[in-house]
Amino acid sequence: MNITLNHPLVKKSQSLIALFLLCLFISLLSDKFMTSTNLWNVLRQISVNVCISVGMTLVVLMAGIDLSVGSVLGLSAAVCAGVLKNGLVFESLDLFVGFTVLGAILTAMLIGMALGLFNGWVITKFAIPPFVATLAMLTIARGLTMLYTEGIPISNLGPKFEFIGSGWILGIPVPVWISLIMVLIVVFLTNKTTFGRYIYAIGGNEKAAFLSGISINKIKLAVYGIAGMMAAVGGILVTSRLNSAQPNAGMSYELDSIAAVVIGGTSLSGGVGTVTGTVIGAIIIGVLNNGLVLLDVSPFWQQVVKGIVILLAVIIDKMNQKNK
Amino acid sequence: MKKRYAYILGLLIVLTLGYNSVYFKKLSVVKAATKENFDFKAYADSIYYKGILKSKKITLGDLTSLMQSNPETTFEKYGNRLGIGNSAYFMIQSTGKIIDITDGLYTIADEKNGIVYIDTKYIFGNAIRDASGLVKLTDFKTNAQFNKVSESLNDIIRNDVIPKEISKVKLGDSISFSGAIKLSKKQNLREKITVIPSQIKLQ
Repeated sequence: MNITLNHPLVKKSQSLIALFLLCLFISLLSDKFMTSTNLWNVLRQISVNVCISVGMTLVVLMAGIDLSVGSVLGLSAAVCAGVLKNGLVFESLDLFVGFTVLGAILTAMLIGMALGLFNGWVITKFAIPPFVATLAMLTIARGLTMLYTEGIPISNLGPKFEFIGSGWILGIPVPVWISLIMVLIVVFLTNKTTFGRYIYAIGGNEKAAFLSGISINKIKLAVYGIAGMMAAVGGILVTSRLNSAQPNAGMSYELDSIAAVVIGGTSLSGGVGTVTGTVIGAIIIGVLNNGLVLLDVSPFWQQVVKGIVILLAVIIDKMNQKNK
Repeated sequence: MKKRYAYILGLLIVLTLGYNSVYFKKLSVVKAATKENFDFKAYADSIYYKGILKSKKITLGDLTSLMQSNPETTFEKYGNRLGIGNSAYFMIQSTGKIIDITDGLYTIADEKNGIVYIDTKYIFGNAIRDASGLVKLTDFKTNAQFNKVSESLNDIIRNDVIPKEISKVKLGDSISFSGAIKLSKKQNLREKITVIPSQIKLQ
């Protein structure tokens, strides 16, 4: 069988091939890379980006963008830590409402979902471009986080909560389990439900999707809601890992997330891409970050390299579209 | 019929999650329990008398010249801050002559630093606690408790230190003083600095 660079199998697996080559390259230069400790560490680190990126994938599949995920992560994480540690106080009613770990997690997810729904509402109701609407939310959510935390970390959240970010189950880190569950849910949503097909349809051709009777606004609302909730899950993982909610948590995470989506082969113009591709994209970014640290590359150069990788991914995506 | 079962199941899930998510207590009981566990006054006394009074402080003159030459290192070495941002609290000491007293605000002509204000009326916020660098957020269960330390430290300054020490000084006196100031990395050092005092002594 004659396999060339233009072979469909090669095109379909280009992210995977890139990941393989990257791992090979780093392992040749650093003997610490291919150790189990390091690889688990990489997986643990990328689990946050995986959670955010699978939500972002749905948005990008719909030809949208969500720049607010980092800030939504920060606010959800802060509220999660805040209610867990301080509860809610109602002075006039002489009432203290305490939150269990489950309660704090659910609260964070609800906050994330509410912010995402708000994004979706603004985008659909006022026909504001997603870039602008979510950029506004980026600033609003970050400001609210600073107001809520007063710029001070909320720490000491207890061993039960810490377990989520630092614990192991069946020899696998808990964050990896959580991100895996999130991925499986979104893979199921995109591949096995009409909701998933609608997302692809809207991204492929919004007008055609509308004319075929798809309730575009409802789907958009739901997708932005899911993206917000996924960001909140990422926030819970970050906070539990550090056992502390940092006011600047999630700063510029949206960029890593968009990078993972693009590197994973999802087209920024919508309609094309997979969640599994995004996971590979997130792993590539994680491996790249880890490799550059192991190879003692200056942090400034790390940013340059990451930028070049994203640029290459977009160029390849454009070339693929042209060839089609 | 199928929908009805789905709603009932959904409601049951929500109720179960809700029941396992929150718990309710009387606020007065929670407050009482917190108070019983920790004596903020004794803690603040120990921080002030054993820590703040005895700690070595940078002189205001040295701090301002270091700020001009190398603000990053100065912030790291002498500044204390809890969160992020470009501002930090510093515990400083200096000397000067009282040239004006207006509504609790003492204007000091500092030989090296020009005019410095000492605020003896509005002792609020976290300046003393944070500038001391002795109180860690992680030592407290809640942010409210952490803030309570500031209240207790401010009480010491407001009720004990200032009335006792300020009664001995008058306009024209030369004094030595120490206290907390807040500076930002891009601080215009020509602007007047206001000190929240931790000690004022007649020279």
